[in-house]
Amino acid sequence: MSSWWPGVAVALPLVGVAAVSFGRLTERWRIAALVVPAVAALAVALLIVGDVLAGRTPELFVLRMTPTLWLVLRVDAPGALYGATVAALGLLALVYSFGYVQRGPRWSRYFAFLMASFTCTMGVAYAGNLLTFLIFYEAFSVLTYALVVHEQTPEAIRAGAKYIAYILVGGSLVLAGILLTYFLAGDLTFVAGGFLAADAARGQLLAAFWCFVVGFGVKAALVPLHGWVPDAHPAAPAPFSAVLSGVMVAAGAFGIMRVALDVYGAPLVRALGVAPWLTVIASVTVLLGALLAIGQDDLKRRLAYSTISQMGYLTLAVSLLGSGVMAGALVHLVHHAFLKGTLFFCAGLWIHSSGVRRVRDLRGMGARMPLTAAAFTLAALGMIGVPPLSGFVSKWWLGVGMLQVDAAIGLAVLLAGALLAAAYLLPVVYAAYFAPAGPIAGHAGREAPATMLAPTLVAAALTIVFGLGSHYGGFPLQLAQAAVAAWFGGG
Amino acid sequence: MTGPWAEALPWAIVLPLVGAALTPAVAVRHPRVSGFWAWGVLLVTAVLTAGLVSELVARGPFSYGLGGWAASYGIELRFDHFSAWVLPLVVLFVVIVPFSWRYLDHVMPDERRPPFYALLLLNAGGMIGFCVTGDLFNLFVFTEVVSLSSYALVAVGGRGLAAFAALKYLFIGAVSSLLMLFATAQLFVLSGSLNMADVSLRLGEIGGGTAVMVAFAAYAVSFMVKAAMFPVHVWLPDAHAIAPSPVSAVLSGMVVKVGIVGMLRIYQIYFGAEVLELGAFNLALVWLGAISIVMGAFFAIFQDDIKLMLAYSTISNIGYIVLGLGLASPYAVIGAAVHVFNHALIKATLFLAAGSIIHQTGFRTLSDLRGVARTMPQTSAAMAIGAVSIVGLPPTAGFVCKWYIALGAFEANQAPFGFALVFGALFIFIYYIRMLNAFYFQPPVHASVAQASETPWSMRGPVVLLASLCLILGVLGGIPLTFVEPAVLDLLPFWGQ
Repeated sequence: MSSWWPGVAVALPLVGVAAVSFGRLTERWRIAALVVPAVAALAVALLIVGDVLAGRTPELFVLRMTPTLWLVLRVDAPGALYGATVAALGLLALVYSFGYVQRGPRWSRYFAFLMASFTCTMGVAYAGNLLTFLIFYEAFSVLTYALVVHEQTPEAIRAGAKYIAYILVGGSLVLAGILLTYFLAGDLTFVAGGFLAADAARGQLLAAFWCFVVGFGVKAALVPLHGWVPDAHPAAPAPFSAVLSGVMVAAGAFGIMRVALDVYGAPLVRALGVAPWLTVIASVTVLLGALLAIGQDDLKRRLAYSTISQMGYLTLAVSLLGSGVMAGALVHLVHHAFLKGTLFFCAGLWIHSSGVRRVRDLRGMGARMPLTAAAFTLAALGMIGVPPLSGFVSKWWLGVGMLQVDAAIGLAVLLAGALLAAAYLLPVVYAAYFAPAGPIAGHAGREAPATMLAPTLVAAALTIVFGLGSHYGGFPLQLAQAAVAAWFGGG
Repeated sequence: MTGPWAEALPWAIVLPLVGAALTPAVAVRHPRVSGFWAWGVLLVTAVLTAGLVSELVARGPFSYGLGGWAASYGIELRFDHFSAWVLPLVVLFVVIVPFSWRYLDHVMPDERRPPFYALLLLNAGGMIGFCVTGDLFNLFVFTEVVSLSSYALVAVGGRGLAAFAALKYLFIGAVSSLLMLFATAQLFVLSGSLNMADVSLRLGEIGGGTAVMVAFAAYAVSFMVKAAMFPVHVWLPDAHAIAPSPVSAVLSGMVVKVGIVGMLRIYQIYFGAEVLELGAFNLALVWLGAISIVMGAFFAIFQDDIKLMLAYSTISNIGYIVLGLGLASPYAVIGAAVHVFNHALIKATLFLAAGSIIHQTGFRTLSDLRGVARTMPQTSAAMAIGAVSIVGLPPTAGFVCKWYIALGAFEANQAPFGFALVFGALFIFIYYIRMLNAFYFQPPVHASVAQASETPWSMRGPVVLLASLCLILGVLGGIPLTFVEPAVLDLLPFWGQ
């Protein structure tokens, strides 16, 4: 069904880019020009979710890039789900940023690049073929560089260099994979169930598959390609760390999903025999990420390692090629975005109002900043998977799905990951509430202004809402099941 | 069957050449008028070439016999799909000339402007002639017109180093021209004709033979030197870096392409005659192209001078084109031919943006130019767009070519070169990242950088226009293909032999 809405959703944030880059507006109008399009983009994204749930597939042929290839947006169930997540977390991070980012010459730059990468991430979600996917994927990867180095400290510049090196190598591998795919199939349009012919040269199919997995794996932070993650997150401003962890790392996992299920298709992936290798890589990622998180003293670095671990679940699910486990993975993608968003928002609040970056300095924060600490605790429990919070729902479906495909090892990894999550998140909560308060300098320890606190609390509240309401219509699970039905046929 | 525009074909060459001759006379009272005069002449030429291209689209390739003499006796001008390259070429000139009006203030005294613009028009006329001539001797003559005006344009900046760079360029260029003259004479002796179509026909009758191959080799080497491919690139970096920026844009973007277009012309002759085994030659091109990419990027990384860096990047990009030609599969050759134009556009963007920055701040090295993006945001943004285009990130003009050439590598069953190309681009990004880092994310070290103002609109307009074209041609990459595809597909059956 042809529809303008996907194009509108992708283009709306550009209004904000234009307003802060070119307009000579007062600050009040600039903020309005940023917030209004972001709210509108969220509204459109939700509208599209409704459309997709009604069984339609909105698509928009934007441009003919070459005689055979179109820039095309086509929203299927996973795309709608991811797009709505991007729009919602993007809006929260935007509002939060007004309080967090200091006024000055860099202010405009930050918001221009934030909104531009917002546009491109929406484009990734709604891309209808691999070329469109690549265009938006590369664009946001590069635009994000400006946000990673935003603070312009030597650490930030170093982290930025590491980030861009990893990401560009990954992007090039993805490009190589896409070239091979186009060479093999003569087409790049996503088709649920895959479009690559099973009788194509096995060597080339394998080469393209590993190009994709390694290329997207860099962004998805698969071990051993995760090197940029723990450096980029602490260096970046907190609201951007939230977006980076919540939806941008997920873009890599989303790419792997697209490739495995919309380009190759489950039967071909099985026939190629690559799934077990992917399972091993993903399991190592989940466990190693979580183990490394335990030892980190820098809170944001600890959370970054947690992202590596949690995003490993998505790749693990793809590798198991089961319908139930994929539904769980899609739900987890959404739930994780808001959980991790909350955690980074809280970390940012502590940095902003008391300059505290290290876990051991959080002593006494539970009393000084009760709302922040409560939000952090809630999200931490959600991340561990305590019922009835959102993290429990996604892990439940992941676990049930794993049993459906007899993946006992997957289940063990899942449970071990949850246990380790408790080991790296609960000490933070303990430090905030129960450790004896140490001496804290100066004015430290007042709740942050409402512009920052409100998005944090909304994200935390979503943890409960998604946990309790998961079975109602319009919640992620319904979309995930629609996606899985298309991928695996009626599952 | 020819339409009204076919009759105008010789004027496309005559106009700029006559305009060049008249420039000193027009500007005798007010030297600055020469700039507007040159622009006017180029504007009219642009309209004319647009007409020629519309004729080509409507009715296909057409010829014009000078003085009414039929082809193969008289001098023939021929406008085919490769000739369509004159339109973007003239349009780029039309964009670059307004930039030079204000830019030249700091480069040369007013009284040297008329010769400067005369040389620029001569250069444009020479390139147009080169693209539309159907005659081997005129091919040589127009090559010389382009080369000689280029030597002078390098020197026109006036300082000691400029003369030295121009001299180096001249010596190497002269050897290349001699080789070309030798090859032309050889073919004339062998075939008794100078008309390209005629030569091709008669070569077919003669068959192969050492002498025919020697002529091919001489042409090939001569055009490689003009294109600045890796082992014979040594003249390029200094010449392009020292010339005034508008000239650098012309030289790096367009004049080096004379070598590539010339190569395609020679292919047309030899393929028509079916006397050529290209296997080994293609292999050599592929390797030389790949080495050019890597070496160009390698040298660029160590440059601190932004214009020198851009000059080395031209060597890399010529490497892409040559690699594409050598792969000899449809996609690869189409990609190479499109890159002839897209690289011209991107390199013009980069050189003009770099020129603006040098003009406003007085500095030209990365370490001096730190933080310039704060005071010159639009020019720096154009530079950034040019940088991501030349690296070939989607959706920019550079991506289209990279896509086609890499796809062509798979098609030609040479996958390693496809990967080399994709990752070679990364290598190139290293030095552009350094540049963007310095411009955007480092504090200024010089007061003149911290207090620089944006350029006047006559300079900023062209830069912004070119940068937006880099993006537009990325998303509408199909447009140049409509011209390139038929031409390439005509040639291809003979290519991969």
